[in-house]
Amino acid sequence: MMMTMMMNGGEATEAELFLNCDDMSVLERQRVQLNYHQYHHPGFEPTLPCFFPNSSKMNVGEVDSFLPSAGLDLPEIYGELHGDARISVSPGNITTESENSKKRKFGCVDTETKVCNEKKKMMMMMDREVAVEEEEEEEKSKVTEQSTRSIMKMKEQNSCSNDSSKVTKDSQRTDYIHVRARRGQATDSHSIAERARREKISERMKFLQDLVPGCEKITGKAGMLDEIINYVQSLQRQVEFLSMKLATVSPRVDFNIDDIFAKEVVSAPMMNLPNTVMPPHMMVNSGYPHDMVNSGYVHFNPMQQVVTSSDPLSCFNNGQSATMWDSDVQNLYSNLGV
Amino acid sequence: MASADKPINTDVPEKDVFALHFLQSLSNLRRQNTFNSPEKTNDRVKKIKKAAYVSMARAAGGTNRLWSRALLRRAAKENNKVVRLPRRKKRVTCLRRRRSNRRDPVEEEEAERLRNLVPGGGGMETSKLMEETAHYIKCLSMQVKVMQCLVDGLAPK
Repeated sequence: MMMTMMMNGGEATEAELFLNCDDMSVLERQRVQLNYHQYHHPGFEPTLPCFFPNSSKMNVGEVDSFLPSAGLDLPEIYGELHGDARISVSPGNITTESENSKKRKFGCVDTETKVCNEKKKMMMMMDREVAVEEEEEEEKSKVTEQSTRSIMKMKEQNSCSNDSSKVTKDSQRTDYIHVRARRGQATDSHSIAERARREKISERMKFLQDLVPGCEKITGKAGMLDEIINYVQSLQRQVEFLSMKLATVSPRVDFNIDDIFAKEVVSAPMMNLPNTVMPPHMMVNSGYPHDMVNSGYVHFNPMQQVVTSSDPLSCFNNGQSATMWDSDVQNLYSNLGV
Repeated sequence: MASADKPINTDVPEKDVFALHFLQSLSNLRRQNTFNSPEKTNDRVKKIKKAAYVSMARAAGGTNRLWSRALLRRAAKENNKVVRLPRRKKRVTCLRRRRSNRRDPVEEEEAERLRNLVPGGGGMETSKLMEETAHYIKCLSMQVKVMQCLVDGLAPK
């Protein structure tokens, strides 16, 4: 996709370049030469982009295919030119999709200038050789020639820009808006945007559906939303209820964390669950120094034990969390108890 | 348009992160209470609830989420503190949307209700609201689990 877009951009700029080049004195001779060639071989005009090979490989291909088929008067010169052009162009044009555009452009500009130089040389030679013979004819036909050429140029340019705009539009459409209008659906931008939005919402709804229990059976967005709202409300009520319980359950404790932990150290051994960490009562009983008991490590253990014991379905991984607690969280926990 | 391609990310930290934050805020409460006179249970319930929400918001990515930002901001406002949260990238949200006839009015109403439930939901567009709701639900259920464990642990035997 990028490739085509770039190509289009290249062609567009090429057209501009082409226009600008008419005023440039450097390419003036080339233009004259062009006139000459066109006079001799009318098929030359379509392959004009080959003078600006920054657009694409295609143009080089055109050059390659064109030159042999053109049946030129000076085959040896053209053969040389052909070879030169190929050699000079190839580094720029072996670009693949992986290369970025800037690099490519630079390379191409280089090759372009090279080609221009080569061409100029050739043209000079050819000028000297052929100019004498062709001068009268050229003079005669110049006026009509130029008029036809300008028309053709315009045509080419038009087709170029048309093509590029069409293709970029297509690419944009396929790139950004994934919603396709089916039969009978509106295609104006508002409807498409609305459809994209709705698709996005339904995607998230599906995501939510997995989270909320009992939401799978319900069909229809309104019902689903209702269920989600109920679930959120119930969760919020639960939080309120639990905080009430926490406030009333042990007013004596008054959220003395040390007391909580002391209590849990006692209560923890009752629930013997597989725990990779040494059980806290063992730590306490096995003659750990008192300050160690107050430190975060021991604090953490009963908490973890309680959490795991009262909620066996939780995704608690004892071994994993133990290491985690050990490293970062222990400091926080040691700060907890005053 | 770029945001449309962003995958839905509702990853929630581990449960012990929630537990840690909650315990920390509880201990903060206790520290405050030592200076105050003994209060009524009602006030304590409120404080614990607030602590629960704030710790949940902190545990769940702090200011990265819209709902947690809103919660923290609200809590800071209640404390009469001027807390400056880090600026988020300015998002252009069109609050006064064009209500087309094609949208289901019931659906819109439900979405409005949900918007009132999820903190900070007032300024969200619907798809964003859904994403935030998913994250919020995950965090809430985690918090409920943690609190349940704590209550069970504290319950007199």
